Amino acid sequence: MVLVIAEQRDGVLHRASWEAIVAAQQTGQPVQVAVAGVSLASVAAELAAAEIEVVLTVEHPALESYTPDGFVAVFADVVTGTQPDLVFLPHTYQTREFAPKLAVRLGRSLITDCIAVKQRDDRLAFVRPMFQGKFVADVAPTGPAPHFASFQIGAFRPDAVTRGATAADIRAFDLTLDAGAIRQTVEPPFQEAKQAVDLTQAERIVAVGRGIKAQEHIVLVETLAAALGAEVAASRPICDSGWLPMDRQIGSSGQTVSPKLYLALGISGAIQHLVGMKGARTIVAINKDAEAPIFEVADFGIVGDLFEVVPALISALAADA
Amino acid sequence: MERDTLEVDVLIVGGGPAGLSAALRLAALQRRDGGEPLAVAVLEKSRQSGSHMLSGAVLDPSALDELLPDWKTRGAPVETLVRDERIYYLTERSQLRSPYTPPGLRNHGNYIISLNRFVRWLSEQAEADGADIFTGFAGTEVLYEGDRVVGVRTGDRGIDKHGERKGTFEPGVDIKAAVTIFADGVRGNLTKTLIRKLGLDGPTPQTYAIGIKELWEIPPDRVPPGRVVHTMGYPLRNEEFGGGFIYALPKGRLALGFVVGLDYRDPLFDPHMAFQRFKQHPLVSAMLAGGQMTRYGAKALPEGGWHAIPRCHVDGALIIGDAAGFMNSMRLKGIHLAMKSGICAADTAFDAVRAGDVSVSKLATFQRLVNGGSLRRELYPVRNVHQAFGAGLFAGGACFVLAPLTGGWWPRGLLSNEAGHERMTRLDRYYRTERPDPDDASNAVKVDRTVTFDKLTNVHYSGTRHDEDQPVHLLVADTDVCRTRCREEYGNPCVRFCPAHVYEMVDDGTGDGRRLQINASNCVHCKTCDIMDPYQIIDWVPPEGGGGPEYEGM
Repeated sequence: MVLVIAEQRDGVLHRASWEAIVAAQQTGQPVQVAVAGVSLASVAAELAAAEIEVVLTVEHPALESYTPDGFVAVFADVVTGTQPDLVFLPHTYQTREFAPKLAVRLGRSLITDCIAVKQRDDRLAFVRPMFQGKFVADVAPTGPAPHFASFQIGAFRPDAVTRGATAADIRAFDLTLDAGAIRQTVEPPFQEAKQAVDLTQAERIVAVGRGIKAQEHIVLVETLAAALGAEVAASRPICDSGWLPMDRQIGSSGQTVSPKLYLALGISGAIQHLVGMKGARTIVAINKDAEAPIFEVADFGIVGDLFEVVPALISALAADA
Repeated sequence: MERDTLEVDVLIVGGGPAGLSAALRLAALQRRDGGEPLAVAVLEKSRQSGSHMLSGAVLDPSALDELLPDWKTRGAPVETLVRDERIYYLTERSQLRSPYTPPGLRNHGNYIISLNRFVRWLSEQAEADGADIFTGFAGTEVLYEGDRVVGVRTGDRGIDKHGERKGTFEPGVDIKAAVTIFADGVRGNLTKTLIRKLGLDGPTPQTYAIGIKELWEIPPDRVPPGRVVHTMGYPLRNEEFGGGFIYALPKGRLALGFVVGLDYRDPLFDPHMAFQRFKQHPLVSAMLAGGQMTRYGAKALPEGGWHAIPRCHVDGALIIGDAAGFMNSMRLKGIHLAMKSGICAADTAFDAVRAGDVSVSKLATFQRLVNGGSLRRELYPVRNVHQAFGAGLFAGGACFVLAPLTGGWWPRGLLSNEAGHERMTRLDRYYRTERPDPDDASNAVKVDRTVTFDKLTNVHYSGTRHDEDQPVHLLVADTDVCRTRCREEYGNPCVRFCPAHVYEMVDDGTGDGRRLQINASNCVHCKTCDIMDPYQIIDWVPPEGGGGPEYEGM
């Protein structure tokens, strides 16, 4: 059995939880999902739609906000109580913090930031990138089960989840938690940038690069994005120049995204940018330079002037609507 | 502002081979003499020990033997013994193998190492010996009382790109020490200010080179592990000093790189392009075919030799390693000298702290140890080699070969006494009649993204990361000079000598004008810009601690 530890905050499920469930379903083993917090009814109901055995809700007032001590304590109990063969987590910031501790607490191995699971000989291997994506390694866990693995956000498609014929059971996990043993006190969440944009959740992205030439042309990109119902993003030079805020930057020093549609306008496709968006399902590139590396990853490419192509796209979309 | 203060007996600024050797030697002296233990702290700007370490590297183990005689049983990460050496003179399409290996380049008994792994191991040894190593902290300011050095201030964290405090702001810490040992590497940002303030310059200006390196994975049976190849000639012209190196590591790993003296004359010359041309040479491309580049990095190295070493002892402080210029450019080696200078500094500082006298006269012991030991014995006889190369390849070659016979003597009048950047020639004087395009390197090649790469792609493989929301750490005193005078006089050579695409002249929006754009987060901390800028208006200061390259395996 694979136990997936889903992530939620204030009753909102982290989208990457679905990706971990997809990974679990791909192993062919039965799947159970555990989620911790307070007032979990709606999150649990949402998760129960998937083809899984059971949703375990782990509720306790002390789990209202995430703390590493609290989560390690309760999930150590959940894992011990449910005896899974594998434990899967989405590779979120929260997972990065508590999963290593949880694995160490139980004396089990943890493979982080995986992008695929595959059968290799007669055992499961976890595929993870190394050297910033230059290599991928097949890593087989050793030691006693369960083995822990976390999955890179965007490695699986949330909508690839197999849904169940009927909703899965929802069961409250019976837990004891000594709130006094939690050493961390939670302060209000810290938000560094005002209006931080989480592009990882966007289904469509229109991204712009140096080909846009001047700040006053950004509006063209925004118009196209609005017509497509897409988020606006950019490569580094645009954000460096302050034409768009830094939280819209895609790439190795910005966000890593995997939307259904990624439209790259005037982006040459430096490797620093490609690592942030090559997981998109469909990549459309518009660039004047036919030799730009962006065309090596694009599904559709237009060699042309974005100042001609983009207005044409906008009017075509307007005609459709 | 409230700052924390930390007091130690010995503060070592820089956790490279020099600084860590000093820390290890201090621990050994402590074991030998007993008594109240000295508090020793090491500051290192990289997030992990070794992350900013880059060298060829062939290690002469002499200093390691002295420092940790049991290094083999402690598991020092040496990759392989040097088994085979070749020197080639390259022309564009062919090569001539030298039948003679000058004594300086004989590497019998030396090891090929990854300096990154070696330094990480050294830091583990030093920590096990009780040194506190503060990684992720850069020293940004020397603290003085009068002219006496009393410690170092570390950089503030959590400042945004406009200089405002972010929610994560933490002020830097003042670390006070009886003796501060500066081991901040080639063109160290603190040593630079120390030399300037106290007037410590050596008899000749320090000269430098830039080394650019890649790691490759190639079919394992292609080049036998332990082979060391050095090249001279192509793609450099007689007026440029430098050459290539190829070191074969076990399991099909190949370290290769190219070194160019930062005293070239042609303002349109691009060292990174020279490296690309080197890789395209049949001798090299045959080794690389079908392989993959896995790492990239660049770093300046001090090449001025003995006469360029500053006075290294002042009230309360010592300077060691590459920061001082303990590097043998004839043997292409400095790691063992850096380590040896760390040993000498530790011996000096230990006695001084125990005696309660850290004055300049007490710390002059360091100079006596340097003069009386292997450092002078190795560096003095080759003191003129690089300067002689400044007089041309053949003069340099003659001096290089004859140095062992003449004891290094060379007619004084033939030696250049200029700093390297002063040799860069204005476009109109270098090109005279042509009007070259200042946006094109004179040695440009079209990259194929298989064997040759553009700088931006290369930077990706340096693992370089900086918090994007911080002030630019390349301080250009007057960017007007860039778009006006420098564009006209030198064609913005920063765009070419920077190996990491930090400097860019972009369209300024007016139509035909350009402005300087600094992509600071690409910076691999090589210091070339600080050294080679013809106007000397670029000041490299440390970015927020922890930022920089990740030279895993380099």
